[in-house]
Amino acid sequence: MSKFLEIALGIVTGIGGFLEAGSLATAAQAGSEFGYQLIWAIAVGTACIAVLVEMAGRLAAVSRHTLPDAMRERFGIGFFLIPLAAVALVSFLVLSSEIGGVTLALEFATGVSHRWWAIPAALAIWLLLWKGTFGMVEKGTSMLGLVTLAFVVAALKLHPDAAGVAAGLVPRAPTHDGARYWFIAVSIVGASVSPYLFYFYSAGAVEDQWDEGYLTINRITAGVGMTFGGTVAVAALVCAALVLHPAGIQVDRYEQIPFLLTSPLARAGFWLFVAALFIACFGAALEIALQLAYLVAQGFGWRWGENLRPRDAARFSAIYTVALPLAALVIASGIDPLRLTVMSMAMTALSLPVTVVPLLVLMNDPQYLDEHTNGWVSNAAVLAVSVIACVVALVALPLQVFGS
Amino acid sequence: MLIGRDIMDQQVVDARGRLMGKVDGVVLELHEGEAAHLAGIVIGGTTLLWRLHRGLARWAERKLGGEGRITYVPWSKVGKVGVDIKVDVEAPRTPAFRWEHWVRDHFIGRIPGA
Repeated sequence: MSKFLEIALGIVTGIGGFLEAGSLATAAQAGSEFGYQLIWAIAVGTACIAVLVEMAGRLAAVSRHTLPDAMRERFGIGFFLIPLAAVALVSFLVLSSEIGGVTLALEFATGVSHRWWAIPAALAIWLLLWKGTFGMVEKGTSMLGLVTLAFVVAALKLHPDAAGVAAGLVPRAPTHDGARYWFIAVSIVGASVSPYLFYFYSAGAVEDQWDEGYLTINRITAGVGMTFGGTVAVAALVCAALVLHPAGIQVDRYEQIPFLLTSPLARAGFWLFVAALFIACFGAALEIALQLAYLVAQGFGWRWGENLRPRDAARFSAIYTVALPLAALVIASGIDPLRLTVMSMAMTALSLPVTVVPLLVLMNDPQYLDEHTNGWVSNAAVLAVSVIACVVALVALPLQVFGS
Repeated sequence: MLIGRDIMDQQVVDARGRLMGKVDGVVLELHEGEAAHLAGIVIGGTTLLWRLHRGLARWAERKLGGEGRITYVPWSKVGKVGVDIKVDVEAPRTPAFRWEHWVRDHFIGRIPGA
């Protein structure tokens, strides 16, 4: 494949794969409650995930190790179990949220309660993993994910005030509801910096047999792809700020979210929203279920690979085969998918130091990276964002759960 | 070569490139008056458990039957030590795939299309 095509595909993956249940829900809440004020949180989260994805790709290309492989080797089994448990728990919650997003799309389309869709949705996701190949999962979901660009079209049609949007890029103290503001800010960071993204990326780079010749491709696709992806999330926030905020609608019930696109794009907007929600969440669920299997199999040295037949990687296949129905049961039990999603994003933010710091240690080890170790800027920036997000989540999460 | 850095917890790959597991432990031979000698590597859940929790490991060995269930690869069969540790054995002839095959035969293999 030509380098140009690889870069184009990588960027498409960044755009089509960025928006999922978490980034959509948090962007909609931020826009409806605080107008443009929280755009900066999307910018911070996007910059952070771009840097982390680049690191995971560089680690895979230079050391030929996936992230779990390298972590187990470098830190030993005792320490490895901590990030393993944290990533697995957070990924499971996010997987439930994505299945929740798929089932909501089906409820909007059919009128049948989302609870009934949880098991069929999980079955469909499982069937694609069971029968599909890695290329199909990765490329298929990102191509179809381009439907999320409908948010950019809608945002442009609403003619947002450019100066106002730009002002939102600068973090400022909230004008009202401080606790709520920081909770949403930290949920946005959690939604952007989902560990499944860079763990999945490192497995993909090894599965595609990257070497040092891919370092430039990696840098461009991570940087440009994630920036464009973040733009889609900003567009969703802008739609919420212009459609829901003036009408005084706060996104506290999921039924309110489709209004995002019905106002700017009329009836077609409703169906575009349903399609975007379905595809974005379905694609994310595929990747997270696969990443859970990668994580455990790589950590324990089992045979793994989405291109193998399930019987040739039995333990690997067993992990997603068990995780999907369990995650679906959470939704079928009747928990509110929107609340679950926002809570999962805050939990992700809380776990960031545990999931990110081991990666930083590896990225500074010449044993793995030769001369391609991290510079101090990316070290300091990622460390600062993870620690601050964790501290804010630690304060904001109880306030949110027990009411302020 | 350092045991802790270059051997422990490394990926083990068999003669046909199959992923066998991680190095969960090493066996050292001690003889009076000689330097310790690396006899081989061990792959297996109970060996791993010994490194995490002694009580749990003792319980697991009683339940599962202990040493017969772990895979021992003598150092003479260990080839290249690089990104992975390549060993000159056939993984299916060792106990390394016991769980893999159990899951295949009792669960995954029974689902249509596996």
